[in-house]
Amino acid sequence: MGRITRRLALGIAGVAGFGVVAYGGTLVACRFVPRKHPSFFALLDAVPDDETARRVGKAMVASGHAPSDLRDLATLLSERPHIRAALVTDCPATRKRLVQTQCRADFAEGRMVSVEGWLLSQTEADLCAAAWLAGGRTG
Amino acid sequence: MIFDLNSFDSDQSITGGICITGAGPAGITLALELAGRGIDVILLESGGKGFEAETQSLYDGEVAGDLNTDVSSSRLREFGGTSQHWTGLCAPLQPIDFEKRPGVPHSGWPITRADLDPYYARAQPYLQLGPFDYDFQSWKDALPGPGLPLDPALVIDAVYQQSPPTRFYETYWTTIKTNPRIRCYIHANLIDIALDGEAVAHCDFSTLDGRKLTVEATNYVVACGGIENARILLNCNRQRAQGIGNEHGLVGRYYMDHLNCEAGAILFADNNINLTLYDGFVEADGTALQVGLKLPSETMRREGLLNNTAFLVPAYENKNFSNDFRNHGWVSFSNIVKAFAHGEVPDRFAENICNATEDADAVAIGIYRHVVRSFASTGRALAAGLRQDAEQSPNPDSRVFPNEETDPFGWRRITLDWQIAPSDLDSLRRTHELIGAAVGAAGLGRVHIGITDPPDLGIVYTGYHHMGTTRMSEDPHKGVVDRNCRVHSVKNLYMAGSSVFTTAGTANPTLTIVALAARLADHLADTGTARTGAAKRS
Ligand SMILES: Cc1cc2nc3c(=O)[nH]c(=O)nc-3n(C[C@H](O)[C@H](O)[C@H](O)COP(=O)(O)OP(=O)(O)OC[C@H]3O[C@@H](n4cnc5c(N)ncnc54)[C@H](O)[C@@H]3O)c2cc1C
Repeated sequence: MGRITRRLALGIAGVAGFGVVAYGGTLVACRFVPRKHPSFFALLDAVPDDETARRVGKAMVASGHAPSDLRDLATLLSERPHIRAALVTDCPATRKRLVQTQCRADFAEGRMVSVEGWLLSQTEADLCAAAWLAGGRTG
Repeated sequence: MIFDLNSFDSDQSITGGICITGAGPAGITLALELAGRGIDVILLESGGKGFEAETQSLYDGEVAGDLNTDVSSSRLREFGGTSQHWTGLCAPLQPIDFEKRPGVPHSGWPITRADLDPYYARAQPYLQLGPFDYDFQSWKDALPGPGLPLDPALVIDAVYQQSPPTRFYETYWTTIKTNPRIRCYIHANLIDIALDGEAVAHCDFSTLDGRKLTVEATNYVVACGGIENARILLNCNRQRAQGIGNEHGLVGRYYMDHLNCEAGAILFADNNINLTLYDGFVEADGTALQVGLKLPSETMRREGLLNNTAFLVPAYENKNFSNDFRNHGWVSFSNIVKAFAHGEVPDRFAENICNATEDADAVAIGIYRHVVRSFASTGRALAAGLRQDAEQSPNPDSRVFPNEETDPFGWRRITLDWQIAPSDLDSLRRTHELIGAAVGAAGLGRVHIGITDPPDLGIVYTGYHHMGTTRMSEDPHKGVVDRNCRVHSVKNLYMAGSSVFTTAGTANPTLTIVALAARLADHLADTGTARTGAAKRS
């Protein structure tokens, strides 16, 4: 890639949002929210509902980097410590933060995948794949 | 004293202490250092003051292999050499660059960074740089912006210094002219190195119209640039058919350049990321610096990676803050403006005006953007491209060799067959992945990898850094010169310049060239070679 075009830069912006660390107060607020142990699907709220995320999800499954069976993928994801923690919290902000923490841990530990040239954490790419599978493989 | 060989009406023969051919950064530094040690020097330069088309065309040659390079106009054949249009970015090689690295075949210098440290310190003033300090921590507090919050175990900040850039003609002509120990001849082209057994007996020089000068000295140094040094040894084949120093077929091989490319980008998650530190030159305590990102040496060793410093090229939401108009024309234009602002006539005024006129579009965009910047805000930094002069691994098949064309002296011109190994770009891709891991781990954003798998070699351009063609090794089967830059098979012949580099590192070469020249001066002075010469007419 010679030049950074606006399109390229914005192209991954939604997915890169997994990396934003913008909480602070929300965590404190969430501490007092009663826990209802939400389903795996609540996790997928963290995935941006946009074209890029769908493209990443589709590419992950098509390339075999992510299993094409949603249950297998959910099992795989829930083996990761911060995702496991996210699965037992019902505060969306905390959940999002835990997903982000897992993504950062993935990078720190070298669990990365390259999708269309973008270097993503295994977790965010898997979540995009899960959202794509859960959404009926559309888009 | 400076003599013009063109103005002599008969052939000349002179004797002296040290004969240095080539008045670029290497030759001029060496001459001044030796003179400073009280040693008489004869300095011979092919060119004159400024550009002369006929002399410059002696550099014409061919390019084979990778075509994104040049041999004819990037090198300058005039007093001051290629410093007359270099850009001035400087950094020392790192300790790892001198090591024998398992992941880098043919690596390992016979000297270490510690051997060069005192000479780097001496080299800094020649290039009008600040103190010999390239440690980010030392500069940190004086810098105008913060570094990116990356884990230093993963990615570190690399500091480079910016020379004005020093033009060796403007800066050293008078110094050379008034130095009583230096006799400099311009328009003197080296046309033969005559051997007497294992030693040089004399060197012969000629003007383009045939005036001759013979120089007899105790020691001889060839300082004609990374390509020409090899061409000279290969063309001086009267007594040794394969060329001087070429007993093992190594002269001209292992040619390296830096892999100049803008590939990949960081997309930042935070709209307000502060990239001041990385956006071009910054000033710290009166020294101009450039800061880039690189992997710690430990990581390079562990992963068997080549060296690289990635400089960021921010792209702002408000395009008026992007610097993509900065081409040669813009640089010339800003040189003119800066000189006039200081009440001076710009260097090489005519050439700068031509560059600026040819690139009028870029200049117009640049002026407009500079005006707009005074009242507009940058908007968010959308992303930053990764621009680098990445290390190329040494490769015997990448080489310069004489072709069938000859120059007016009957010397064979050269073909540059620059070979880039795909694995060099694989190494750069992996480097970017590791930067991407650090950026992701810090929650700063994501990295787009701009190097495909397999890599597209077409993204690479010359860094204009010609290295390795008379490489240094203690083993004559593996290198042309020894640890003191002496040609293994000739007792009193030395090479100065980047042709002696065993590996290229990623640092721009000139600071190391100047440091090696200062080291060679000490070696020659300490081995007691001083001899006072006198001119005699033949
Ligand atoms: C566009 C450009 C930008 C650059 N930017 C940078 C940078 O930012 N940082 C950096 O470190 N480096 C940079 N360089 C490289 C830098 O210019 C060289 O590393 C440096 O000039 C090499 O010095 P030298 O003395 O070894 O060779 P040269 O500067 O090439 O000098 C060689 C001298 O030998 C003379 N000569 C050649 N043949 C003969 C002969 N047969 N007889 C007599 N004399 C002869 C030539 O006329 C010349 O004066 C750049 C180069 C270019 C082209």
